[in-house]
Amino acid sequence: MDEQELVRQIQDGDEMAFAEIVKIYKNKIVNFLWKITGDYQKAVELSQETFMRVYFKANKYKPVAPFSSWVYTIASNLAKTEMKRSRKFAAVPLDDVQNHLPMEAYASNPTDSGLLTNLREALNSLHPRYRIPVILKDVEGFSQEEIAQILKSPLGTIKARISRGRDYLKKELEKASSKENSFAMNEEYQDG
Amino acid sequence: MDELNLLQKLRSVKAPPGFEKRVLSHLSLRKKKRARVRNLSLSLAGAFSAALVFFIVLNIFILPEKSPVGIADFEKKSLSPGYRAEEAPQPGPTIPITEAVDYGEEVRSLSQEPRTIYLLEKVSDEVSSTIKY
Repeated sequence: MDEQELVRQIQDGDEMAFAEIVKIYKNKIVNFLWKITGDYQKAVELSQETFMRVYFKANKYKPVAPFSSWVYTIASNLAKTEMKRSRKFAAVPLDDVQNHLPMEAYASNPTDSGLLTNLREALNSLHPRYRIPVILKDVEGFSQEEIAQILKSPLGTIKARISRGRDYLKKELEKASSKENSFAMNEEYQDG
Repeated sequence: MDELNLLQKLRSVKAPPGFEKRVLSHLSLRKKKRARVRNLSLSLAGAFSAALVFFIVLNIFILPEKSPVGIADFEKKSLSPGYRAEEAPQPGPTIPITEAVDYGEEVRSLSQEPRTIYLLEKVSDEVSSTIKY
């Protein structure tokens, strides 16, 4: 069934149509929020809240923009609010955090190359102001115009943020690779 | 920007199993909560409007009072040529005026005064009710 038709049914309070929308978007939204927050549990909670808003605010949706953009708008707004909130309460000593991290957190993905690990770390250190547009563009594949619509910002601002975000990631990757190179050279030197 | 193409290769996650069920059960809970909040806000609004209506009725019908503006309007009207005497306001309720009296000076010793009795007699039936400022 067409998405617009499903939305019309949700506007009439149809829960089956809502379940269909959840089925279509659940993986995309959880993945998107996980990439932004870096916390799977939080991403799942935020996804639930996103779908709640989709249902209760369905009447506010205007079919001038694609439905997917509207869903991503809700999700990114929730993510931004959550990150602001978590930054406020993030004053925990580093030692405490390290002692309470689960073992899986240390285990790296065996299929993951060092470059991908570095990229993920760089992405996590990127400010959400730049991280969200970069993820929407380079991971989710939205156009710059669509991102401007999703984030309710001017197109010029979005272009600048994507460009700055990419520059930052590139620099961080270069920094990480030069560190690795120097580490490898040291090891070779010590081995003789 | 070749490195950034790797962004698409980053590991992706999926929603946990039973996610849809959880969302739908959360939805029904949220619906119930919203209905409760709506009922509560409606009853609060009803109570508030009833109190407002009661206050308005009390002020208009039960506790009528002439405002200073009303009196000023009447004075203006009385100066106009089409004024009729019947339109004059009825004398209002009596306003008691209390004056502080120093009895120390009023009461004197009988021995110093001549033995005179004063009879106070009412000389007029008219009572001045208007107060002029």
